[in-house]
Amino acid sequence: MALLKVDDLKIHFPIHGGILNRKIDEVKAVDGVSFEVREGETYGLVGESGSGKTTTGKAVMGLNNITDGDIYFEDSHLNAKKGKKIDVRNDIQMIFQDPYSSLNPRKRVIDIVAEPIRNYEKLSKDDEKKRVQELLERVGISSDSIMKYPHEFSGGQRQRIGVARAIALNPKLIIADEPVSALDVSVQAQVLNFLQDIQKEMDLTLFFIAHDLGVIKHMCDRIGIMYQGRLVEEGLTEEIFNNPQHIYTKRLVAAIPDVDPRNREKHREFRSQIKEEYQQSFYDYFNEEGLAFNLKQITDTHKVALPERG
Amino acid sequence: MSNQQTEKVVEQKVEKSPSGLSIFWKEVMRDKLALVSLVFLVLISLVVYGVSILLNQEEIVRVDPFAIYEPPSEEFILGSDQGGRDIFGQLIIGTRNSLSVGILVTLISGFVGIVFGVVSGYFGGHVDNVMMRIVDFFMVLPNIMIIIVFVTIVPKYSVLTFSLVMAAFLWMGIARLIRSRALQEKELDYVQASRTLGSSHTKIIFTQVLPNIMSLIVVTMTLNLAANIGIESGLSFLGFGFPQDTPSLGTLLSYATNPTTLEQRWWIWVPAAILILVLMLAVRNVGEALKRAADARQRRAS
Repeated sequence: MALLKVDDLKIHFPIHGGILNRKIDEVKAVDGVSFEVREGETYGLVGESGSGKTTTGKAVMGLNNITDGDIYFEDSHLNAKKGKKIDVRNDIQMIFQDPYSSLNPRKRVIDIVAEPIRNYEKLSKDDEKKRVQELLERVGISSDSIMKYPHEFSGGQRQRIGVARAIALNPKLIIADEPVSALDVSVQAQVLNFLQDIQKEMDLTLFFIAHDLGVIKHMCDRIGIMYQGRLVEEGLTEEIFNNPQHIYTKRLVAAIPDVDPRNREKHREFRSQIKEEYQQSFYDYFNEEGLAFNLKQITDTHKVALPERG
Repeated sequence: MSNQQTEKVVEQKVEKSPSGLSIFWKEVMRDKLALVSLVFLVLISLVVYGVSILLNQEEIVRVDPFAIYEPPSEEFILGSDQGGRDIFGQLIIGTRNSLSVGILVTLISGFVGIVFGVVSGYFGGHVDNVMMRIVDFFMVLPNIMIIIVFVTIVPKYSVLTFSLVMAAFLWMGIARLIRSRALQEKELDYVQASRTLGSSHTKIIFTQVLPNIMSLIVVTMTLNLAANIGIESGLSFLGFGFPQDTPSLGTLLSYATNPTTLEQRWWIWVPAAILILVLMLAVRNVGEALKRAADARQRRAS
């Protein structure tokens, strides 16, 4: 069953200009994206910068205005017109990309982590402190540090404080917006594994946004690949990595470096071969505006954006 | 027993890191010039507000034809003016009035400016547009002239009404400043994070945005205080501040427009002039120290 369902989501940002500051154009950050995130799985959204993956995540969170399309969580319509809006914030939480800017530098850890608790539950000071300490222990930070400020922690620790804040309300879905891209490589694995542990422990569904294919491969059950605000391919992790159908996906997968130095020559050849294919067949895979076509089902789980052809 | 002990140990372990405010305070304390200025300001205010309770304003401003232009003596510590009024008493009450107006104007204009600026900057869009046009409207008005007009129209004015009139035309600068910072601030991740955690706009403004621009607010308000004392003295000097029976530093200084007073009766205007100078300098020094403390780049290494 789908926990989160995004249907033909469109987010266009207006460009104002001219004498009266009228809308003269728009940026189609997200242009018709549909996907489902099933309960308990980790769904990965990959794409180059500017492809609209973060915008999609923020739209689910309600941080962006949605131009068109629908978002459903469980059975509730998230972007229904005002008045009917249901508050699902305690069921959906977000982990932000930059652990340095997502924690208010003026607040102590206890205030940061307790913020959602204070908004949704009424606890006494002592209970609240205990909850915060439990949460911190859970993410592997000493419960003695509740009176510290964010700048006293390392990047990985700060990101874990962000996670502690996100799981404070026992959410069902966590949107992780490039949670490790701002971190040192040595800390990335640590945070990722820890995220997986938390997911198992709390029965979470993860919506994972990233541009690092290695990270995605490690984390996700299913992957959607975005390009210029549209999905170009969607499928199980193995399908995407072993049997990419779209030329853009092929090129992405080819770009993953090979660790074995003996394969270096071979790999370079393979990459340039894919590059050539990409340049030659670009118009077979993209329309005249350079955008991807609509997704077409090729197997039960695998969808690719291919042109309408016989 | 052992349980108690472990509890104690835990209590000790949870130590507080120094808060931003205490770092701020330490920084100001280290600046000797600012510290001296601050002590001086506190002393002046204590003396001025303390002594003025003991003084009887009506007695001081009563005209005494037998004591015109007395030089400093035992009866009049700082001499008397053309009405035979005690300069020392006028100086104390005048400083009190000038300081009160300065502080009140700073607080009122600061409050209006902060509310305006934060709301405008935080909500942005059309709200921002409309509110900033209102600010622009007030900005193009010739402030000083309008304050003069108001002061002449309002029949009877006290420290409060005078401050209100001044504040009504002096809040725009701070509103603009705060707006620009609020605009930056609301784009930051932790403000968005706060949205996702279910905090309301009011709560975000008070708990996320305001604490981060607090240092800016403190610094600008302090520097504004110096400016406002100056503006009040200037207006009174020109005769558009307080009337003669309500002394202020400016009215004392305006006696110096009389050439004989300027040349021969120094005791009437020199103390007031020195006080204005020293007061404004001291407030500025404190303000500059706050500014340095708030800006990590200007902070000296510890």
